Amino acid sequence: MTDHLGELAALYALGLLDTNEQQNADDHLATCDACRRLLAQAEADVTAMAASQPQFEPPVRLHAPPAQAAPVRQRWIAVAAAVAIALLPIGYLLESNIAMRDSMLADSQAIAAVANNPHRTVAFTGTDARVMYGPDGSWYCIVIRNATAPLHVMWPHDGTQTMLGTAVPHGNVALLFLPKSHRMDQLALMQDGRMVGQAQLVF
Amino acid sequence: MTAFYVERPRSMRPVSGDEELAAAFAAKERWAFDEAYARFGKLLYSTAYHVLGNAEDAQDCVHDALARVWRSPDSYMRSRGAVRSFLTVCVRNEAITRLRSRTRRRKLEERVAAQPAEHDEIATVDVIERDRLHAALRTLPAEQRRPLELAYFDYKTHVEIARELNEPLGTIKSRIALGLRKLGTALGASE
Repeated sequence: MTDHLGELAALYALGLLDTNEQQNADDHLATCDACRRLLAQAEADVTAMAASQPQFEPPVRLHAPPAQAAPVRQRWIAVAAAVAIALLPIGYLLESNIAMRDSMLADSQAIAAVANNPHRTVAFTGTDARVMYGPDGSWYCIVIRNATAPLHVMWPHDGTQTMLGTAVPHGNVALLFLPKSHRMDQLALMQDGRMVGQAQLVF
Repeated sequence: MTAFYVERPRSMRPVSGDEELAAAFAAKERWAFDEAYARFGKLLYSTAYHVLGNAEDAQDCVHDALARVWRSPDSYMRSRGAVRSFLTVCVRNEAITRLRSRTRRRKLEERVAAQPAEHDEIATVDVIERDRLHAALRTLPAEQRRPLELAYFDYKTHVEIARELNEPLGTIKSRIALGLRKLGTALGASE
């Protein structure tokens, strides 16, 4: 199709074109900035109509499709780390220590995330702890050294604090993996109702 | 305990503006999908629901439409306008395609006949918004309003509309395009 869309932009936005017409329009749109803008306006008009109808809350939240596969070497590191740590809980399972197994599986998730993805690291002030996190805010891994008691990880926001989870020490290290999709630019560590550490994250 | 809410946390501000979201969405950055859905999920789901009349179908429709957009190379370019409008039209067109499927339509009609609408209460609450659309439609001349109503609410093709209104196809195309632009202006549409 070489002609500009003209009135077809409105029909396109309303979903009135048949398959051939739409394909022709798409071919033209790939090369014509003016028609892309014309279509953008028509789509905004249709969206205004849609937004003026009753709105309903969706029953479930959708999640992003899987990200592109990581390079082979990184995948092997991640898989090896995950398998090695996932196998460890077998001994504990024999002793019916389900809680420990769950905790170690979470640890394996954390190590896999760190090994398999680019990440940033920020140290907490006030305690020997750091947070590694995805640059897109899709996951966070908090590691606390010399931990003697469970620490609550909090997200201060909107004048309040959301508790994200509890890092329980195994040995003298506590680890908490958070597969969250929010970009949280501040995290705090609480112990016995007292803030013991704070980190400012940058995105 | 140290007070650490000296100032409003940065996380209270929007994570990104429309321009940043559009750029990230065009670049297929993963967070952009999540944020687009967080911002527009209600509108997208509602748009699909109005076409399909069923929560499960609407949910599937939104998921499939967004997954297709995400997986298609160059599906979205910034010059296509706002991500919100682009996704809304993608979802609506996907919903219309599904509705036009004869089998699905038959199932839908059977289901609608057998069950009450799932969002009756909310629809009643939102009567003001619905009136806003109809009030805006009433400002259009009848020759523009009628084809637009048949296209938007009855999901008829321009060929079907021309046949039903006994008007030339070109005339119908012009009236739909003109009516849509006027309606968008009346509803405050912005690109």
